[in-house]
Amino acid sequence: MARAFIGDMAYSLGATRYELAESAAAGRLCSSPDDLLAAGFARHHVCPPGDGSYDLARGATDRLPLNDGVDAIVYNTCLPQNGSIGDLAAWEATGDVKHLMEFPAGHLQTDLGLDTAVVFGLTQQGCTGMLGALRLADALLASEPEWERVLCVSADRFPPGARYEQSYNVISDGAAACLVTARPAPGTRGLRLVATHQITNGGLHTASDDESVGTFFSYVPLLVRQTLARAGLTTADIDWVVPQNTNRHAWRIVAGLLGIDHERVWQRTLPDVAHAISADNIINLSSLLESAELRPGQRILLAMAGHGLNWQATVVEVTA
Amino acid sequence: MSGRVVVTGADGYIGRRVAARFLADTDTRLVLTVRAADRAELDAKTARLLPELGPAADGRVEVLPADLTHEAPLAAVTGDVTAVVHSAARTAFDVSRPVAERVNVDGTRRVADFAARCPALERLVLLSTLVSAGLRTGPVPETALVGEAENANHYEWSKAAGERLVAAEFPDLPLSVARLSTIVADDDRGAVTQYNVFHNTLKMFFYGLMTVMPGLPHTRLYLATAAFTSAAVVRLASADAPTGVYHLAPTAGQALPLTDVMDTAFDVFGEDPAFRRRRLLRPEFCDDATFRHLLAAADGLRGSPAAGALRTVAPFAEQMFHPKEFTNDRLREAWPGMPTPAGLPLVAATCRSLVATRWGRQGADAGPVRAGSTS
Repeated sequence: MARAFIGDMAYSLGATRYELAESAAAGRLCSSPDDLLAAGFARHHVCPPGDGSYDLARGATDRLPLNDGVDAIVYNTCLPQNGSIGDLAAWEATGDVKHLMEFPAGHLQTDLGLDTAVVFGLTQQGCTGMLGALRLADALLASEPEWERVLCVSADRFPPGARYEQSYNVISDGAAACLVTARPAPGTRGLRLVATHQITNGGLHTASDDESVGTFFSYVPLLVRQTLARAGLTTADIDWVVPQNTNRHAWRIVAGLLGIDHERVWQRTLPDVAHAISADNIINLSSLLESAELRPGQRILLAMAGHGLNWQATVVEVTA
Repeated sequence: MSGRVVVTGADGYIGRRVAARFLADTDTRLVLTVRAADRAELDAKTARLLPELGPAADGRVEVLPADLTHEAPLAAVTGDVTAVVHSAARTAFDVSRPVAERVNVDGTRRVADFAARCPALERLVLLSTLVSAGLRTGPVPETALVGEAENANHYEWSKAAGERLVAAEFPDLPLSVARLSTIVADDDRGAVTQYNVFHNTLKMFFYGLMTVMPGLPHTRLYLATAAFTSAAVVRLASADAPTGVYHLAPTAGQALPLTDVMDTAFDVFGEDPAFRRRRLLRPEFCDDATFRHLLAAADGLRGSPAAGALRTVAPFAEQMFHPKEFTNDRLREAWPGMPTPAGLPLVAATCRSLVATRWGRQGADAGPVRAGSTS
């Protein structure tokens, strides 16, 4: 099957940046700032009152070249409630469920003038949803030969009052968007999708933070091996790993289990961005692209773990 | 055995069972020492201990207080003492160096000093541990420790230091050093009443809180039951058994490769529907460096119960990278009819017990202390 390409990408973060001590004092964190600092976090980003996940989505999509339109939008949210931006007060006042089905992807289609785009929503892949969106876009482009471009979006804002720490990771409100194209987009680094693989373990849907952390170290190596096997590759074929922004020790451990040089793990946005939910891969991949470290022929492994529990990985190859 | 036998730490897990075995196998009278700050604590401990020992203790047992951190802790013991079994110790792998030294080294010296003043003494049996060998690898004979070796934790160090101290400072004592295996169950039926690093590690695997196993797959585990261990100790306390060092352990060939133990444990875990539903993966073996990263991560997760549990098993983990081959020729010679270790069936039985009771939280039946079956 012909594989699509990741083209332009962009992201946005909650407009208010907090140092760890500030958020700890405000009750947004569970662990101590010192512990979180030792884990690699330094600050995070939170939407101010009035800003929602859709605003984040627009913050990312507005930076993409969308004048030529797209054939489809795949809109992912980690939190299912971010999959509707309707007026909850209106629902409560009227009992009319249509207020619970005001879909952000539809808004995006209209607001960006993407009138012919077919709309898909993903809401049940946890933090791995952006990789799920890439997979779906790849499959759509393969099955719809006349289609050229799919817009993938991931946007999440934690609700007011939420704690911004999950499984000992500091969370940022954030969104990411990218174009997946049937052919390399002119003027962009060619990143061909090679393989995507997902593991879901619904038996762990109520996993505690500690169970989520514990299973990370068994399921992520399994995920990586199975993903690479699907691509006919081994860990030796991977030049870079672009993971989520989790505890800085986590991928040292996984790299040790997989025999991957940790120097090849690109997690450089961790201190300043924190775990921006499903947007992490795009954020770290953007950082890697900006670094000028990439060379044609290199292969990059994008990996994510998320609630559900879900684990998902994508291999991309630098083609130009 | 006509005189009196002193058992220190007699209210401890092994001490109680050694006492029960003495009562079952011999007609000797026992002096059981327990740590007690005052009369009230002594009475409370005595009130717990004697019923556990059952009717056999009637008229044969005296319970005395003894704190090994005090001078002359056994001064209250009188009469013809023919054997001393020194069982009292701090056995936690995360014990601090000062506490380990005060209790396990200095306390052992005080016990040896008492033993040296017992004219009828036939045996001083010092309970030690296989891992007094430290981080050596390869064959470990049933002989005094030769040369220095690094230790994985202060407990190991203190037991090695205790062995050396008694041998060096009390060369005329009829000393037998009993190096104990990792005790995983009360007896071959697998019931567990005292939890240690073996059980706590399995607990973390069962609950998905740890999914990597530090160590080498072929590292052999020397596992035993309390029944086997206490029977061996009583045997070694007899004047018939030669003095010297003994490994209360299976042979290297009978000891269990770590990977086999893990497979057996997960086979048993898989019998539990709740475990099966959660589809937890069998842990991968990780190298020392990777495990250190895991510990570093745990150090930063002070709010995590799992990280706290990991820190408690960590002091022993380094041993899993240092495979050893312990011999037990002397023990087998001194103990005709020594039972054959149960091996993986013991692991399976123990795991079933752990799963059934959810590590003692559900339906644990402490029951009376039994001398136990050793075969």
